Amino acid sequence: MELAACPECDLLLNPHQAAVGEKAHCPRCGYLLQRPSKQSIERTLALSIAGLLLMLPANLLPLVGIKVLGTSHDGTLWSGVFTLFSEGMWAVAVLVFLSSMLFPLLNIVLSLLVSFYLHFNKPNKYLSHWMRWLQHLKEWAMLEVYMLGIIVACVKLTSMSEVKFGLGLYAFIALIVVTGMLASHLDGYLFWRHIRRLNNKS
Amino acid sequence: MKTNANALSRGLIRCHDCGHLSKVNTPQCPVCNGHLYPRKPKSLQRTAALLLSSYALYLPANVFPIMTVTRLGAGEPHTIIGGIFALIDSGMMPIALLVLVASILVPMVKLLGLSLLVFSVYFHWPINARLATVVYRIIAFVGRWSMLDIFMITILVSLVNLGGVAQVIAGPAATAFACVVVLTMFAATSFDPRLIWDNPNAYE
Repeated sequence: MELAACPECDLLLNPHQAAVGEKAHCPRCGYLLQRPSKQSIERTLALSIAGLLLMLPANLLPLVGIKVLGTSHDGTLWSGVFTLFSEGMWAVAVLVFLSSMLFPLLNIVLSLLVSFYLHFNKPNKYLSHWMRWLQHLKEWAMLEVYMLGIIVACVKLTSMSEVKFGLGLYAFIALIVVTGMLASHLDGYLFWRHIRRLNNKS
Repeated sequence: MKTNANALSRGLIRCHDCGHLSKVNTPQCPVCNGHLYPRKPKSLQRTAALLLSSYALYLPANVFPIMTVTRLGAGEPHTIIGGIFALIDSGMMPIALLVLVASILVPMVKLLGLSLLVFSVYFHWPINARLATVVYRIIAFVGRWSMLDIFMITILVSLVNLGGVAQVIAGPAATAFACVVVLTMFAATSFDPRLIWDNPNAYE
């Protein structure tokens, strides 16, 4: 068997396959090395399809709306980006677009691609590229932070107007739950092992 | 399970992406074709440069208004701290605390914490390596939550857009603050926590 090393303290470790439901921590620095999940590949595939379906309503339908002096205004994910851009805050607009729209989408698409090829046992020369991008992107998809932003904005708005929740918000919350489950079910250790096997096969 | 030796001291390099161990001086990982390096290249220099830029931007981010609220023609600029006081005034204590933690405390703790880690590695301070790694882990985890303020402004700007009656316009501090968040996130990822354990004076 091959040896392994802790990514955060470089401790040389004897390989040990943790069982489902078990957590393997680095004995020296406490880093969470493995947390295998049941049917990791299948669940990742199912969750990314669900996420992809939710992406559309979450992005297009209004999240929250306000009603002032009889006229109502709705806000979607996209309208925030657009307004910032038209006010000349293009740097912030680009950052918000990336972290609340593009990266969450890429996160789901890449999970779908990787788990699809692993599930059907098909080798693909881009598998390790996709997996690498997925690992680097994860941190920059910030849907749950956006949700907190919505809550704070609503609290600020209640003093001046009536706040209404749109249909898009429910899709958005569902999307957060799905991406959260995706993160906890995607077992990187297992995925890389399968990618290595498939790469050797082709 | 425990071997008590660094992979590098046994002549092995761990692939940053897939975790496969290769012999030192292998340029590419045989499993995923990623670049191999014993430690992140120029980790301390990069982290220090990103930290210095963040310190420089932290000042305008807190001094300039992050948004201007116009009501019936009268404009009222808000700084980050001003926004927190406005929340306290309207009796929203928990939300005010949340914003205080996400926009003031988290960036400050990140900047100071990462600076201390860089110093401790560079000057070989005798520190508790396990504790320092936990500090690094917390810094890397909380960074993204500072985007809270930026997202809140995005929503306010798009909703409160009623011409003369009421309007919210993002201020110059928003760009500076967004830069602080992004730069500190890059600083955290460019710091290699294994350097903490390479420090000869560190203890467990």
